[in-house]
Amino acid sequence: MTEPISRWSAVQMIGKGVEAAPALRRGIGATFGLAMVGSGGRVVVPILVQQAIDRGLKKDHVDVGAITVLGLIGFCVIIVATIAQRTAVARLGRRSEEALYGLRVRLFEHIHRLSLADHSEERRGALVARVTSDVETLSQFFSWGALAWLLDGTLMVMVAGVMLAYDWVLALVAFATAAPLAIVLRNVQRHLVTAYDKARSRNAEVLTAVSEVVSGSETLHAYGAGAHYATLTKQSSHERSNAFIRANVIGAFLFPSGEVFSVLTVAAVVSVGVIRGPGAGLTSGALVGFIFLTYRFLEPIAEFTEVLDQTQTAVAGLRRVLGVLDNPIGPPEPLHPVTLPKGVLGVSIENVTFAYRSRGDDEEPPVLIDVNAHIPAGQQVAVVGETGSGKTTLGRLIARFADPTIGTVRLGGVPLTAVANDELRMRLVVVPQEPFLFDGTIAVNLGFARPMLSVPDLEQAILELDLSDWLETLPDGLFTQVGQRGDQLSAGERQLVALVRASLVGPDVLVLDEATSSVDALTEVRIGRALDKLAAGRTTIAIAHRLSTAARADRVLVLEHGRLVEDGSHAELLAAGGAYSRMFEAWIAATASTQ
Amino acid sequence: MPLSGDSIIVPADAGRAKQAFRLIRGLLRHHKRLFFTAVGCAAVFAACTVFSSVVVRLIIDKVIVPRFEDGTVATHRVVAILGLLIAVGVVRAVGVVGRRTFAGRTSWRVTESLTAEVIDRVVAQPVPWHRQQRTGDIITRAGVDAEAATHILNPLPYASSVVLMLILSAVWLLVTDVWLGMAAVAVFPLLIGLNLTYQRRVDRFYDEAQLELGKLSEAVHESFDGVTVVKSFGAESRETERLSVIASRLRNARFGAIRLRSTFEALLDGVPTIVNIVLLVAGAYRVRSGDMTIGELTSFIYLFTLLVFPLRLIGFALSELPYSIAGWNRIRELLDQPLVSDPALTLLRHADNSIELAGVTYNHDGTRDVLRSVDALIPAGRTVAVVGSTGAGKTTLLHLIAGLIPVDHGSITVPQQGCALVFQEPFLLAGSVRDNVTMGRTLDDQAIWTALESSEASFVHEFSDGLDTIVGERGVGLSGGQRQRIALARALVGHPVVLLLDDTTSSLDPATEARVLSNLRDTLGDTTVVAVASRPSTIALADDVLYLADGQVVAHGRHDQLLATVPEYRRLMEAFEHERAEHAAEVQL
Repeated sequence: MTEPISRWSAVQMIGKGVEAAPALRRGIGATFGLAMVGSGGRVVVPILVQQAIDRGLKKDHVDVGAITVLGLIGFCVIIVATIAQRTAVARLGRRSEEALYGLRVRLFEHIHRLSLADHSEERRGALVARVTSDVETLSQFFSWGALAWLLDGTLMVMVAGVMLAYDWVLALVAFATAAPLAIVLRNVQRHLVTAYDKARSRNAEVLTAVSEVVSGSETLHAYGAGAHYATLTKQSSHERSNAFIRANVIGAFLFPSGEVFSVLTVAAVVSVGVIRGPGAGLTSGALVGFIFLTYRFLEPIAEFTEVLDQTQTAVAGLRRVLGVLDNPIGPPEPLHPVTLPKGVLGVSIENVTFAYRSRGDDEEPPVLIDVNAHIPAGQQVAVVGETGSGKTTLGRLIARFADPTIGTVRLGGVPLTAVANDELRMRLVVVPQEPFLFDGTIAVNLGFARPMLSVPDLEQAILELDLSDWLETLPDGLFTQVGQRGDQLSAGERQLVALVRASLVGPDVLVLDEATSSVDALTEVRIGRALDKLAAGRTTIAIAHRLSTAARADRVLVLEHGRLVEDGSHAELLAAGGAYSRMFEAWIAATASTQ
Repeated sequence: MPLSGDSIIVPADAGRAKQAFRLIRGLLRHHKRLFFTAVGCAAVFAACTVFSSVVVRLIIDKVIVPRFEDGTVATHRVVAILGLLIAVGVVRAVGVVGRRTFAGRTSWRVTESLTAEVIDRVVAQPVPWHRQQRTGDIITRAGVDAEAATHILNPLPYASSVVLMLILSAVWLLVTDVWLGMAAVAVFPLLIGLNLTYQRRVDRFYDEAQLELGKLSEAVHESFDGVTVVKSFGAESRETERLSVIASRLRNARFGAIRLRSTFEALLDGVPTIVNIVLLVAGAYRVRSGDMTIGELTSFIYLFTLLVFPLRLIGFALSELPYSIAGWNRIRELLDQPLVSDPALTLLRHADNSIELAGVTYNHDGTRDVLRSVDALIPAGRTVAVVGSTGAGKTTLLHLIAGLIPVDHGSITVPQQGCALVFQEPFLLAGSVRDNVTMGRTLDDQAIWTALESSEASFVHEFSDGLDTIVGERGVGLSGGQRQRIALARALVGHPVVLLLDDTTSSLDPATEARVLSNLRDTLGDTTVVAVASRPSTIALADDVLYLADGQVVAHGRHDQLLATVPEYRRLMEAFEHERAEHAAEVQL
């Protein structure tokens, strides 16, 4: 990629879009040809009228036979054209929906493989919008805009061709008279877009006002302010109406300006035709045909002005979609994966420095600076430090959610960059701070750990973590619905599900991002018990938020501003009188002062 | 004609046409004149459309044929006829502008009236009603359904002009030539039927696609939200597969729509053209027999061509109808709910500034007593801390005293007026700091600043726009503590006689909390304060403690007294301390 995507022109963009969704290209030539034939059907009546007048309909002589033959020919053309049009529209629609489906699947895959740094809270909405509303913009474009380009474009070419064939002078008169319409429409359109933008933002204001009056109803009642805010809301609704009415008035001129131009064009064509008369090879049939053709010619122009805007919107949507696909995916898969040794694995952190990839011109400051630590197989380690010390990032690097900017993380002696993702995820599991559950049953959420698990497998895992008593408290056991993001369960129960889920993988290394949320006493006991069982015989790295966790660990790593400042057992560090002992004293003081 | 709201409830089994009629009658209670102006303009448009075919006939019979068959045509006649053509075109355009302008006006003014009705109703309903509703549902009804219900008013004048156009054309065609006219008119119902069938069937696919799109958005949102879990378990491909299945359902629904659409659109283009060809051939016989002129035949075909487009749109225009009916019904449902009586009316009033609770029982949804026979006398000017564990009924007690909810048994006696409640979750409205403090009351800046200073909200001074700084949704981000201090200022600015604080100072740091409390002591004077509190330091500052457990008063007395004599109270205080210490330790790490 030599050029940034933001600089691509619309044409380049469409080219790239076709590349990203190859289904679009398949058979596009045939579709276009069919559309051409289909548009032919729409000039049949003008041509037929012209032919009938010139060949059979004279004031004093009517050749019914000739007209019947013409009618039959017209009929056959219409049948063919109708079938062609149907086929063209169906092909375009099918191909585009297939292409968009393919594009969506590519986006799902790509976005899931983006680095976690690209999945920040604030970017999430944007990523969802890429696969939903942006692709929808494209879909709307294909079902209307693209169709208009295809059918109306071919129709205008067809009509212009017939006009020129009849009489090039009259054709030019018609084009010249009609041309300013495009400019008028473009202008009206531009005003219309701004007017509607304004109206839409007024609409958003009304919705905000309404939602406040409703969701703040208790406050409004407590202060007797209901009437006041109702008045404000009604005022806002009045302004919305004004804005939409204004936009409507502008829009009201869009269609009729086409009308006015078509009568002007017809008048111009008839005047010039009458002045030129039959001498110049013009026939009365052709002149009547012109009247019909003029309407056909002007009809699509109004639509084009709208389609142009829609096309711009679609290109903008495409630009955003391609922008996401242009983002490099997270830690790349190794080309030649190395198999991890069997048994419990140690973790080595060697000269690790990490900075988040910058989005602007400024360099992001490093979050971790030259961290070194070797964690032997089976050791229980707690990482402590203030918020922003880099401890969460260190956990992410060990789990290979990102690669260090400098340095290496090794698992069982193998650099993480050489381990196949599938194998890594079988050997190392992260239990996140706020475990995320999918809407569904507990069983579905546990099954997420590994496909093809049976209910007895799940029950066994729960038994092994000593959580069977908890399972019994659930209304439907394993089949209890957890609700959206698990909101039917308490925070502690969500952690329990996450622990069982982790145990189902049977990993050799556990990265625990400790929860901060408070949990009721009973669940706290269960979590403690389950954690002990889960950690037994495994290398465990706990990103600790509570010093009590650190006190229980074999070893404590203390991070300060991205640097590893202390490394040793709880007792050693307390004796050393450094950062850790200061933290611990502060904690003791905070707990003791209130007793 | 003012129609009473109640007569417009649409029974579920009423036929579509009947429902549509009632909807339109209901909508047009207001702004009828605007609507009929639009219909009038639409009639002008319809008449001009039909008349333009007459002009085309004149052009052919009086201008083109004479010039091309006889060789000459009088210039003044050409000018007159083309002038007529342009005039008719311009009047027709004016009709369109008028129709669209007035139709838009009608629909938006009616939306405005409906929204106002809904808002007035929502505001008039007291807190107990609001607690029974789902907030999102009410917002949809007030914000979206009002607009959906009136949507039908936009295409309605157009649809009526199409009907008029069809009638005029039918008459005109029949007058011009009975046989040919009958053939053409017979096709109208066929085309309308084809359109309506298409619209109904294609809408089903569109609705389905819309539904699938909603499901896809939801699933995508969830999947991206859970990306850490997905990555932890190496489930990227599995998730892609799961989402692809949902996306394929959307694609298939669209395929259905495309299949239907391509067929019908081709038919809707093809059928009128075939009718035109038939008219041309049949017309040739009529011209030969001398029953018609060439101009008449051509204008016949021309008029038929003009009608094809409106006929296509009528199906589209009427496709809004079901949505409008649904929106209207949802709004009626809300408006027809009887007004719940205001719980504040159940409060007894006395001249004194004390608060008296006698046998107060409050039963939440009929299952569980949140408060049971609570008796308490809170003397004027005293500060009472309401203490208890979660679910003890503290917040309910405050809401009862504030008159937000009604007691089920017993009575509450409060001062004549001047009670202010500060909620546990402060609610700031989108608007300036000033608006949020005054809540519509007329107050000068001095009073506002004094209140902000008493509630330790001087941070407002640091905002560049001061009191005019926009807060709330889309405004400057405030911390929980800052929001609570503004909410407190909102209560203080009215110099309340009774101040009810629901854990108001809990999200402040201890130092700020202490300053706020001492300010309150200095400024409140003889105000009676009832404060839910969970911080021992705060509780210690109160004159008395009302200790609640399971909805009942366990003890009422001084803090140190209760510590010494009530063991559960002591344990609760220790638990509060412990919680706070844990919290403090987490913040430090």
